[in-house]
Amino acid sequence: MELTASYRFDVPPTALWPLLVDPAVVASCLPGCEALEPVGDDSYRAVLTVGIAAVTGRYEGTVTLADQRPPHAYRLVVTGKGRAGFVNGEATLELHEDGGGTRLDVAGRAEVGGTIARVGQRLLSSASKMMMDRFFDCLRKQTAAPS
Amino acid sequence: MATRLFGSGIRRREDPRLITGSATYTDDLTLPGMVHAAMLRSPHAHATVGTIDISRAQASPGVLAVYTGKDTSDGLQPMPCAWLVPDADLKVATYPCIATDTVRYVGDIVAVVVAEDPYQAYDALDLIDVEYTALPAVTNPAEAAGDGAPQVHADVDKNQAFHWAVSGGDVDAAFKDAEVVVKERIIQQRLIPNAMEPRAALAEYDQASGDLTLWNTTQNPHILRFLNSVVTGVPEDRARIIAPEVGGGFGSKIPAYPGEFITVFCAKQLGRPVKWNETRSENYQATTHGRDHVQEIELAAKKDGTITGLRCTVWAGMGAYLSTAAPGIPTILHGLMLPACYGIPAIKEDVYGVYTNTTPVEAYRGAGRPEATFMVERMVDRLAGEIGMDPADVRKKNLIPAFDDGHDTVTGLTYDSGDYPTALDKLLSHADYARLRAEQATARKSGRYIGLGLSTYVEMCGLGPSQVAGAIGFQGGLWESAIVRVHPTGKVHVFIGTSPHGQGEETTFAQIVADEIGVGADDVKVIHGDTDTTPMGWGTYGSRTTAVGGAALAKAARKVRDKAKVIAAHLLEAAVEDMEFADGKYSVKGSPDKAKSLAEVALMANVAWNMPANVEAGLEASTFYDPPNFTFPFGAHLAVVEVDKATGQVDLKRYVAIDDCGPQINPVIVEGQVHGGVVQGIGQALWEQAVYDDSGQLVTGSMLDYALPRAGRLPEIEVLSTVTPSPHHPLGVKGIGEAGTIASTVAVYNAVMDALGPLGVETIDMPFTPERVWRAIQQATKGH
Amino acid sequence: MYPADFAYYRASSVQDAGRLMNEHPGAKFLAGGHSLIPLLKLRLAVPPALIDIGRIVDLSGVTVANGRLRIGALTPHAEVAASSDVATHAAALADAAGQIGDPAVRNRGTVGGNIAHADPASDLPAVLCALDASIGIVGASGDRTVPASEFFLGMMTTALGEDEIVTHVEIAAGQQHGSAYAKFPHPASRYAVIGVAAVIAADGDACRSAAVAVGGLVPAPVRASNVEQAVSGEALTDASFAKAAQRVGEDLGDEILGDLFASVEYRRAMAPVYVARSLSAAAARARK
Repeated sequence: MELTASYRFDVPPTALWPLLVDPAVVASCLPGCEALEPVGDDSYRAVLTVGIAAVTGRYEGTVTLADQRPPHAYRLVVTGKGRAGFVNGEATLELHEDGGGTRLDVAGRAEVGGTIARVGQRLLSSASKMMMDRFFDCLRKQTAAPS
Repeated sequence: MATRLFGSGIRRREDPRLITGSATYTDDLTLPGMVHAAMLRSPHAHATVGTIDISRAQASPGVLAVYTGKDTSDGLQPMPCAWLVPDADLKVATYPCIATDTVRYVGDIVAVVVAEDPYQAYDALDLIDVEYTALPAVTNPAEAAGDGAPQVHADVDKNQAFHWAVSGGDVDAAFKDAEVVVKERIIQQRLIPNAMEPRAALAEYDQASGDLTLWNTTQNPHILRFLNSVVTGVPEDRARIIAPEVGGGFGSKIPAYPGEFITVFCAKQLGRPVKWNETRSENYQATTHGRDHVQEIELAAKKDGTITGLRCTVWAGMGAYLSTAAPGIPTILHGLMLPACYGIPAIKEDVYGVYTNTTPVEAYRGAGRPEATFMVERMVDRLAGEIGMDPADVRKKNLIPAFDDGHDTVTGLTYDSGDYPTALDKLLSHADYARLRAEQATARKSGRYIGLGLSTYVEMCGLGPSQVAGAIGFQGGLWESAIVRVHPTGKVHVFIGTSPHGQGEETTFAQIVADEIGVGADDVKVIHGDTDTTPMGWGTYGSRTTAVGGAALAKAARKVRDKAKVIAAHLLEAAVEDMEFADGKYSVKGSPDKAKSLAEVALMANVAWNMPANVEAGLEASTFYDPPNFTFPFGAHLAVVEVDKATGQVDLKRYVAIDDCGPQINPVIVEGQVHGGVVQGIGQALWEQAVYDDSGQLVTGSMLDYALPRAGRLPEIEVLSTVTPSPHHPLGVKGIGEAGTIASTVAVYNAVMDALGPLGVETIDMPFTPERVWRAIQQATKGH
Repeated sequence: MYPADFAYYRASSVQDAGRLMNEHPGAKFLAGGHSLIPLLKLRLAVPPALIDIGRIVDLSGVTVANGRLRIGALTPHAEVAASSDVATHAAALADAAGQIGDPAVRNRGTVGGNIAHADPASDLPAVLCALDASIGIVGASGDRTVPASEFFLGMMTTALGEDEIVTHVEIAAGQQHGSAYAKFPHPASRYAVIGVAAVIAADGDACRSAAVAVGGLVPAPVRASNVEQAVSGEALTDASFAKAAQRVGEDLGDEILGDLFASVEYRRAMAPVYVARSLSAAAARARK
């Protein structure tokens, strides 16, 4: 599954970057995130309860913020598994200065396996997009919050 | 004969129990102390397996046992492949019942849980933690055969399970001298058989006696008994295999599967009856699939339409392991049929069987023959387009003229009998082909795209002479046996070695026996599917049950008739030579009132108070019938479609089938078989497709995405026939189970391409999803 | 297929249902079960409890009173499809209900369950938006009514609170209009690849006003206001419908659903075709 999206923020990359690599911020914005604990080398053990309507599942895995080039880009590597299946994904997040704000481009691909892959292809990419939108909407709110 | 049942469309006696729900399938059975198994299957297409933590599952409520591959490697031998096609460099990779170090497709079993109830078993599955390390996967057979593809089995170079070739005639000369050559690359997409009943097993093992009873949804219980002895070690004399009501198979219940043997293993270990019933999700992942060919074809011809040669290469996806009969399907059952009903004089085909990280591929209704018919029939239409001739005329030009006692092909087959031109003529006149062509032309003027698609076919059925079975590497015989036993009241039990599961032989076999010995069809009960009570047989597939088993039955019944004649002669104080069997009675020639009914004879035979000298008591006979040849049913089909140019949607408007399966025992059942077969073939053309993504996930893993045919999208199927008896079958019959599927896919394909012909569209991969058709139209009309 | 363990409660009234939901956080309401039970069987949904609202009295049936067509939430699709009141006052809804799934689904699946689940490929949401339906809701904090256009918020996301239940759907009755639903069904699931509902009020041979809502290819139904404007005042002809339908691209927004069967590009291209077809069918009824 390929995923691409672009998000616009009113703050410049230098202001956005710290939030993107702050585990507390990421944990608070990641939908259903129950835990995000550092395990070294910019990696975190994550526990997520992801749900859309009646479909809910608990996933455990790791999140790695690799190849960091502040405040320009990093590579997000995610592996997770739960009862409904597994996800192995990788995405590049690029921050571009854009008229005083930031254009953040996400380009990635994910392998999804198990029950979700078998019966969910119809909704999988839209559901992923929805989760991503929620994450960045939350992040956007955090940038607007008074520090 | 006054009341001849052969040829009568009496109602299927199977139906009342099927339509009222009283039929007993494996899952309907409950035994005292029975427990339930559930299989943990790999979610990865290709991965190494690290530690498997079963501790939480073992501690889960109701769980009796959890076994992994390590626990079963002594008790369960690897799955055998039983069709070892010779001269093909066949490499049978190890196929463990439970994977140990590597999983090779989504659905490969890694552990089994046995619990008091199925809910507990499935709860425990969720608690097993398997450490997988994903490996690159390959799912497309042509890609898997290429350089650098992921290796499914370390010991099978280039994933090549086999390379089989067939040739006949001078192909090089045919292409050198060809005036016209047409080429095409065809994808025979992977299909999921979708039997209404998923697979199921119930194993009961007596640890004291070593006796096993295995109820299983199989098309061939005797073969399963043999394979079970190989895998589980339970000797044939200790194993009773019962196929209770079996809810369809379409080939997917020919093979043996790890699931039933794991169930047996659990029953042996635990000393309790163990039931395993797969879910529909498991069925999609792990019950065998069909087709999956990538075909490259060239046809050589003269400008007048005479076909002179066919040359092709096929990459046949075999899945991760070779299923029981798999190697024979894209080879013997496929390549040998390429001369088709035209007797193409020069043939060369190379078939590469290729391992991929997918569900094993097996026979699926038609099994190799639809894929062969498709290749030839598609190329005939391409040739017609190339030389500007009507497809019907190209066929007429090439069809083998009628013959009634043998036609040899360059691939070494001898067709038994055929009258292909008459079938085509009857089709064209019934459908009013000329008028349809005129209507098509008119419609085109108003922007409507109607297409006509023809398919003329001959198929190889009634597998087959056992000597041939040996020569083609089939690890068994292909004869059939039957026992006819007449009870004192004249009621009859028939025991057969084949194992019908929806084809209606409980009815048609009763019809055969009734006529042969002089009883009513209702006086005959047909018993099948139990290895302890029925004689040895090789099963129901390949349209062979009536073509081979029916012949055995007719011969056994005739032995009974002969004996009845002797007894009747004795009772009537007449000479045996003066006796005749007429109007269902055993009478003295010329004196019809001097007669005995079968019931009267049967009573005497069973009480034996007054038997002729040297005649044994009882009225029973058995036969082993080994056919001298295959049978070769044939026919001609026509599909009429309309394509919605705006959306690409295909509407099948009309379907006409002419099939010749020889004399029909029960025309209503024949019609039903044609209906079902035609619809399954249409399904391939229009809707069905098993899709794996790049990482080997089956993304059409449920009926949400895998589109089966629906009644509402089908026209009334017009079923007609011609009758050309087989010269070698005692009843002349040929078999009808697969004919519809063999003919219909390409008929619909040709119809859609005919509709789009004026737009310049030449090829579209199946199935014809609206988007594919729309894109092809967009592509072709670009710049117009 | 074996679901995970869950507790089962049967609610006797809507109030009782709300109370049970508050007592059992994470529970799911069960009506016809045709969306929920497959998820349970696949263990994609593992709620601790189900609260069966299927036997609450007075939540089922079609009535017309005070100028409103009212459909109880527990009314099965088959009843909606067969109702002469629905055919008279909201023909598009009858069209859509009659094309949901197959007979078994239509006999068990309910209007309330369908819209509460809000599958993007569901048929009813677009129809309700085009017909300006209002959706009756009851919960712990009382009753409220939400216009359909504000009810469907996104993919499987609605304005319903955790403890709220859809009680009914209401549509203005006796309107001088014709309505129709045009559907491109998925061959396997029968879900709408595209579903378009159109409502046309005719003024002789011209279109006085139109309402068009599109579903199936978007996360939640979209009112095609550009199409509506383009067709209003125009002649009721297929040519003008085809022309107006071209505007639907501007209405759909950026997020188009695509899948294995029908890509984003293809669905975009098909949207005008089905918009035009629904307008044409609605106009034929509007003229009568």
